[in-house]
Amino acid sequence: MVTGAWICLLSPLAAAGLITLAGTRITRRGAGYLATASCFVAFGGAIASFAGLLGRDGEEREVVSTAWTWLSAGSYRSGFEILVDPLSVLMMLIVSGVGGLIVAYSLGYMDRDDEERRYFAYMALFVFSMLLLVQGGNLLLLLAGWGMVGLSSYLLIGYWHERPSAIAAAKKAFVMNAIGDATMALAFFLLIKEGNSLEFGILGGEYSSTTANLIALGLLGGAVAKSAQLPLQTWLPDAMEGPTPVSALIHAATMVTAGVYLIVRTHPIFEQAPAIADLAAGLGAGTLLLAGLIALVQVDIKRVIAYSTMSQIGYMFLGVGLGAYANGMFHLITHAFFKALLFMAAGIVIHALADEQDIRRMGGLRQLMPRTYLAFFIGSLALVGIFPFAGFFSKDSILAAAMDAGAYGYILWTAGLIGTFLTGLYTFRLLYLVFGGEPSPFVREHFHAPRRDLVGISMAVPVAILAVLSVIGGWIQWAPLWHPIETWLETVAEPLVTPASWMDWTTSAIALLLGGAGWLVAWLLYSAHTYQVPRFAFAQRVLEHKFYFDELYDAVFYRPTVRIAKAFYRWIENPLIAGGTTELGDETRDLGGLVARLQTGLLRTYALAIASSVAVLAIVFVAVK
Amino acid sequence: MNGPGIAWYLAVAGFLFGTGALGVLLRRNPLIVLLSLEIMLNGANLALISFARLHGGHDGQIFALAVMAVAASEVVVGLGLIVALNRKRIPLDVDRLSSLRG
Repeated sequence: MVTGAWICLLSPLAAAGLITLAGTRITRRGAGYLATASCFVAFGGAIASFAGLLGRDGEEREVVSTAWTWLSAGSYRSGFEILVDPLSVLMMLIVSGVGGLIVAYSLGYMDRDDEERRYFAYMALFVFSMLLLVQGGNLLLLLAGWGMVGLSSYLLIGYWHERPSAIAAAKKAFVMNAIGDATMALAFFLLIKEGNSLEFGILGGEYSSTTANLIALGLLGGAVAKSAQLPLQTWLPDAMEGPTPVSALIHAATMVTAGVYLIVRTHPIFEQAPAIADLAAGLGAGTLLLAGLIALVQVDIKRVIAYSTMSQIGYMFLGVGLGAYANGMFHLITHAFFKALLFMAAGIVIHALADEQDIRRMGGLRQLMPRTYLAFFIGSLALVGIFPFAGFFSKDSILAAAMDAGAYGYILWTAGLIGTFLTGLYTFRLLYLVFGGEPSPFVREHFHAPRRDLVGISMAVPVAILAVLSVIGGWIQWAPLWHPIETWLETVAEPLVTPASWMDWTTSAIALLLGGAGWLVAWLLYSAHTYQVPRFAFAQRVLEHKFYFDELYDAVFYRPTVRIAKAFYRWIENPLIAGGTTELGDETRDLGGLVARLQTGLLRTYALAIASSVAVLAIVFVAVK
Repeated sequence: MNGPGIAWYLAVAGFLFGTGALGVLLRRNPLIVLLSLEIMLNGANLALISFARLHGGHDGQIFALAVMAVAASEVVVGLGLIVALNRKRIPLDVDRLSSLRG
């Protein structure tokens, strides 16, 4: 079982190393096969660990395997150790399983790219980093994985390095994430100070409320940055500059949900700091509304899906913030299925339209690519949470859990339900604009059907598998009737809220109604064209500027920093440092010029100088004596 | 002590040294300069040996031997340089050999 977990962790690393070392000695496609195979080997290892845990009783489902002492300073020790418990196994299965499918899809999507090998090495590195994050047996390794997923995300967003916008997006993502990394590190320092350890067990210790609040706040900062929640959400839409499979894997299915995993993993500290946990839930609710609204006006197919990702992660934060850990994790799983599906279907569309991503130029693709339409339609239904697709089961159970959390819970519940309406609206707006109606002139001109060879198959098969998972994946748990995921995670994170079954039924009914209403409105506006799409100039402008967050950060952080730097340059760097050293150099050279004049090179001058000096010395000597 | 006194010896030594020094300062042919240097050294040697005889010690004589060894080495190097200069058809004139660049 532990062997399986180690294989799971190390095989993507091995693939990344091999592809890097082999260089041009393997074919481009060979690199792709290697990366894909390593992910599926990892998936096999994850299944072995899962089976191993299944064979044990609830309380014994926690195995720590230490390879060596990784770091020791004074009495502090951290091992290179992995933790196999229900939560980490769940994440391992998602990361390696969905990751494997997406890397397989990349075989087709990235075919003929100039630097395919580099891409697959990065992808394998990412899968390894993500597995390290979820398997790390202590907080320090978790932080190492945390930083490494940030690195691989940076590398992959900026993969097309000849595009300035991609480089800017990569830097933005990295900087925003670094803020979260820093707050997390601060929280860890506090933990080391309090308990001299970074084992997960230390989180359950007794802390004063200030300490607990500070630690929880630091962890929340990391989670919020990685998961693109308010107020550090602005990097995620820009991250769509990366290749589409990267968006599917990193910026939808796995990395951005790491914040949810972090909160579940460190829940004991959040339970000691209820105010911070409530803040997490509130931020989630805020993000889901904000992102849902912005998604209504976006015109880039990938950005719409990116905003819906932010919004869905908002639901997860809402759930885990209120203590509905299993529900949040369940939504993480189903979201990984249907959001990866949507991104990959969108990738097929983008491929078929010669890399066009603007939905205003699309339309009528349903007739041209019916199977992709079907996949996208299934993904949309799952996203909106229409029965019996995956999102229905997971999203509704989060909202039902909110009903059980008092008055604050009801506020969040309302926000979540409004979000459901928005989800229906923006999802089907996207669907109708891209696939509905007659093919637009642009589509007529540029459309070329998906290929049927190996490339086409490698893209179609993962999409098909995820479509099936998006249909049946939700049935794993139906909160009011059966809840295996809750039982599975019980030993790791006992839920704090237990909604009664009437709450589940009521929430589901209302959510279904609102989601359907959103769909209906989208249909009336964008498909049937019964009504004109209403225009509110002010709202439109605010939404198109994403509530002015970028502008705000620009004004508050970027521009003052630039101004200070310029002032330093002008008043300190230039006159003191640059000017000072130049002056010093000039003076030295002048002085050297003076001395150089003595060096005539004439032998007899030197001899005369020596002779006269000796004569003077002799006279002085005699005189003094 | 028989013969002339120490003052005579020193006078001869001073005369030799002065002649050499003038040669070094005034002549421009490196060969003559080297020769003049030898004369200066020999003047110094004469002074050393005179004092050694005067005081009956050996230090001065040993020192004079060392000076001769150094002078011999110096002549080897100096003459070698002069031969090399001559072969390259460089004018044998110390005033025109004022640059270190080859």
